[in-house]
Amino acid sequence: MDALHILIELTLMPLVAFVVGLFMVLMMRRIAARIQRRVGPPLLQPLYDILKLYGKQTQISHGILHDIGIIMAVGGYIAAETMLPVPGMNGIADKAGLITLAYVLMVPSLGLALGVGQCANPNGSIGISRALTAMLAYDIPFVIVIFGVAWQAGSNNLVDIIALQQVDGIASWGIVQTPLLAFAGLFALHAILGKHPFEIYIAPAEIATGPMVEMGGKYLGGLFVMQCFQLYTAGVIYTSLFLGGGENWLTFLVKSFAVVAVPICIAYLFPRFRTEDVVRLVWKWPVMLGLIGIAFVMN
Amino acid sequence: MTPLDYLLLLSLLTVVIALVAGHRSMGGVWLTFTYAAQLGGLMLMAGLTNQPDVITSSLSFTILGQSLTWRYDALSWYFALITISAGLLSTMYTAGDWGEKFRADGGNLWLLHVAIALNVLSMLILLGSGDLLTLFIGWELVSWASFLLMILAGGPSIQAAIRYITYAMGGAMAILAGLALIYGHTDSFTYPAAANILHSLSTAHLWAPLLLLTLGFGVKMALLPLHLWQAAAYAHTPGPGAAFLGAISSRMGLYALIVVLIQLVGLVRVIELPVLFSFISARDVLAWVAAFTIIFPTFTALRQNDARMLLAWHGIGQGGYMLLGLVMGDALGSAGGLMHVFNHATYQAALFFSVAAVVYRTGTADLNRLGGLVARMPLSFLAMLVGIIGLAGLPPMNGFVSKWLVYRSLMLEGEPLLFVAAVVGTLGTILSVYKLIHNMFLGQLRVEHENIREAPWSMTAPMLILSVVVFVTGLMPGLVLQWIAGIQATVGLPVIDYSLGGLDSAQGSLDMLWVVGVLFAGFGIGAVLFYSGGRTHRVHQLDNYAGGHFLSADIRYHYSDNFYPGLMRLIGPLYRYSFAWLESAVQSGLGLLSLSTQGFYRRVAPANYALVTAVLVLLWVML
Amino acid sequence: MIKDIPIIAEQAQQPRRTNPLAHVFDELMNFARSRSLFMLHYCTGCGAIELPPAMTSRFDMERLGIQPMVTPRQADILLVTGYVSIKTLKRIILTYEQMGSPKHVIGICSCTVNGGMYWQSYATAKKLDEYLPVDLYIAGCMPRPEAVISGLQKLIDNIKHGKSDNWKDYYQRYDHYLGNQQHLFGNNWQTPTDVIGEAREYGLFGPQTLGQHTELLESVQKPLQPLEMKL
Repeated sequence: MDALHILIELTLMPLVAFVVGLFMVLMMRRIAARIQRRVGPPLLQPLYDILKLYGKQTQISHGILHDIGIIMAVGGYIAAETMLPVPGMNGIADKAGLITLAYVLMVPSLGLALGVGQCANPNGSIGISRALTAMLAYDIPFVIVIFGVAWQAGSNNLVDIIALQQVDGIASWGIVQTPLLAFAGLFALHAILGKHPFEIYIAPAEIATGPMVEMGGKYLGGLFVMQCFQLYTAGVIYTSLFLGGGENWLTFLVKSFAVVAVPICIAYLFPRFRTEDVVRLVWKWPVMLGLIGIAFVMN
Repeated sequence: MTPLDYLLLLSLLTVVIALVAGHRSMGGVWLTFTYAAQLGGLMLMAGLTNQPDVITSSLSFTILGQSLTWRYDALSWYFALITISAGLLSTMYTAGDWGEKFRADGGNLWLLHVAIALNVLSMLILLGSGDLLTLFIGWELVSWASFLLMILAGGPSIQAAIRYITYAMGGAMAILAGLALIYGHTDSFTYPAAANILHSLSTAHLWAPLLLLTLGFGVKMALLPLHLWQAAAYAHTPGPGAAFLGAISSRMGLYALIVVLIQLVGLVRVIELPVLFSFISARDVLAWVAAFTIIFPTFTALRQNDARMLLAWHGIGQGGYMLLGLVMGDALGSAGGLMHVFNHATYQAALFFSVAAVVYRTGTADLNRLGGLVARMPLSFLAMLVGIIGLAGLPPMNGFVSKWLVYRSLMLEGEPLLFVAAVVGTLGTILSVYKLIHNMFLGQLRVEHENIREAPWSMTAPMLILSVVVFVTGLMPGLVLQWIAGIQATVGLPVIDYSLGGLDSAQGSLDMLWVVGVLFAGFGIGAVLFYSGGRTHRVHQLDNYAGGHFLSADIRYHYSDNFYPGLMRLIGPLYRYSFAWLESAVQSGLGLLSLSTQGFYRRVAPANYALVTAVLVLLWVML
Repeated sequence: MIKDIPIIAEQAQQPRRTNPLAHVFDELMNFARSRSLFMLHYCTGCGAIELPPAMTSRFDMERLGIQPMVTPRQADILLVTGYVSIKTLKRIILTYEQMGSPKHVIGICSCTVNGGMYWQSYATAKKLDEYLPVDLYIAGCMPRPEAVISGLQKLIDNIKHGKSDNWKDYYQRYDHYLGNQQHLFGNNWQTPTDVIGEAREYGLFGPQTLGQHTELLESVQKPLQPLEMKL
């Protein structure tokens, strides 16, 4: 693969992720609206929000780290998108692998946490404290799932994992081969998305949206962009691990949107869990199912 | 004269200079140069890393028919490199304003210099040990040298140091007993003879020396449940001393364990060695000890409110990764474990330096009495940021690479539970280091810290050097992995197939050059996006959302105490004080035993003995 | 006695940029701004009860791109939904100053227009626009959700056509607003925000930004310089 080719891929992959992510945000808001019997926002609403936020004429900064936090949050996701294979483009997926991807995905959270810390607002710090606790909770089933899938595929490389699932049609998909892991993964995915009932770290009414408390203008805009990437990443990872990736763009997008739609449809029916209840719940069911799933895989 | 002789002589010279000139104001600078000379002497032996070769010292004795020899191989070279670098940077840190303030506050700067120099010398001697007897001698030297460093600050450090030396003496007795058992079989202390006899021992006979030696060396490594001494002992050592101890001191235990477990017993034997009456092997036991050493101290660190204690507890936890990687025994795992020694030394020293700089300026390491210092001490913040990313094992720093190798090895070996344990440790570390950096550098700046300045260059330079090392070896792990490959070839482990950016493997490779490159390209795009947005206006931190409340300077608007209440409510009761309870139980058990022994021959009235004897005699006569 | 300086309802419009690309860009941004409004409802009085139906399934503001936000930093519209006591007004002003421009104030209910049924109260500020540049009043006691929505649509129209620049008035005639605030709250009145510094930063100075009232403010204000990084 020549340099130009890979450069084009590295440019296109985050761009595609952003555009798809915008529509995933739209889908999320539309689903929420429909569940609440509303009409919901128009087609380009996520784009309007981001444009408006970036175009704010006065905005405040609490210091250089506040800025760097947003840069890291957006930039970390942009980097992560190049490690997620999409139909026809592998980016640097074969140079990084699943574990690296999982840890690169923590970089944006760390950046955001630093930026929020600089804001000197205790609501933000409480939000980060809760978010990190939630991360401690959901990352355990997530890595169990990663372990199981990597063991099943005999490889750590997402490209291989996808290729292996496409050998034999639906019968070779991860969700058919390892249904327990797939369920644990879906549970973890729901928690990773941070939607109800796992959104204690946002909690608008108690801690004023936690990490976002001092974010306005392009800071909040950066977080909106990050949300697009986050939804896309979650959908694509799950599709790659359990739904055989994408044979072509159509099936790829259908699968990714379907994956994101599942937790969202559940989310808006629930209130919130407390932090310790999140940890207790996530450490109990998905972990247990994941470990049983691994036991099946390893035999 | 071999290069090793030069090295040891230079190290001895450093001790002498520390003794003679350690109290002078320029003493620290001279010492820095002698450490640099030691590093140069070590570089003369850099050829060791390429081929499985040894450089022997011309120093040797023959006592009672046993010859004592010292020699260096790739393993010793690697540990010596870390030791001397840690000594060099700690002394550099001490040489400037930190030392002046330490002396002005009533500390004994001379003794600190001497103690660090002695530590380096004794560690170099230990690392050169060519047979079991020199290993034990070096071990004792190291124990007492670190005791000197731990105790010199006085105050609470005395109790911690005495606790350490109690543990260390217990460990030394165990080692001595283990060596005696081996000697009983071989009549020789040389490694080949010991290796021969250990190979031929039956399972039941192998257990006793193996257990004794592992316990003894595990004390220094602070393996669970022998870890209770370490955090307090390291944390109460003055700044650079703590950095030195945290960077390398307890890794001497790992060195000795490598010698015993891998070079003498052989890892294959350890893997095959079954635990009696069960289905697990000695390797599983070691791996789970390592896993618990990762988890419990990490979550104990999460509870600490003193920055130095927090770091010291993490030092214990990170030791678990090294052992865990090593006992996996494959190329990736052992490379990860060995590499983590280097990585841990670099970021741990940087973190301790940064904390010591904050203590230097503010006079406290209490995480509830700091905050917002990033605006005043940005370089210390930068060093701490790089350090915590390394400690948490996130890309792009070097801690990620070594942990990645360990994870990868656990995945390939099919150890899901150990893998989860390792990840739990990492996640706990992320939580804990965010608390550290948040409570010290982020959040609200306290009024009394308004006029603080950045630490002087003599203190920021060492930590920035270390930060650069942490980043560069994260970007190009091949630099360290080439040494690791040399060690693996020397001690008889499978050799890792590395490249400059990580490793190439059919089952999933890692190329940090690409990962870091793409990550920074992403940051670049993020920055372009960010700065293409509207202009920002810097505001004072009191211009802040507080639900409409008017903030003023006398209002403490900051969140620091009990940073993870939700998690603590859940897991806090699970492990609180359980190990301290175990220690006190052992302590009181031993106390009871000694008291009853003492009472038996001293306290009880002789009349009772006479009475008992008379009754027994009467009974015997009557029957 | 409140100084009787008439509020400038229609701002002098900014000259359009002549570069066609810039013009298109401005139009696009204005459109995006009008279609994405985050509102902060400062629920001071009874009018707040009309907002939930306006937001939820019956009338659904999200159709128009309007959604509630939590902190002033995130918000574009400040909804003041009822009578404004003097103590509350201080918080409203702080909240307004913490919002990022372009920002719009909407006074809902009669109380914000003229004090409403609290006209005789000693503790109630009568006219909100003396203290903040109000973009729109929605009168009524209370206005129904239809009225709220139609008011918001009026605001959307104004923003789309670049006619809703009252927030600049606050910077350009800060002395006037500050004078009224000082008259009500006393000479020690100050917020932790720095309006003059912002006006300086963004070039929003007008002839009446500084004056006798800002002099008074600067004489009592504790300095609130941002914390610069120091080496």
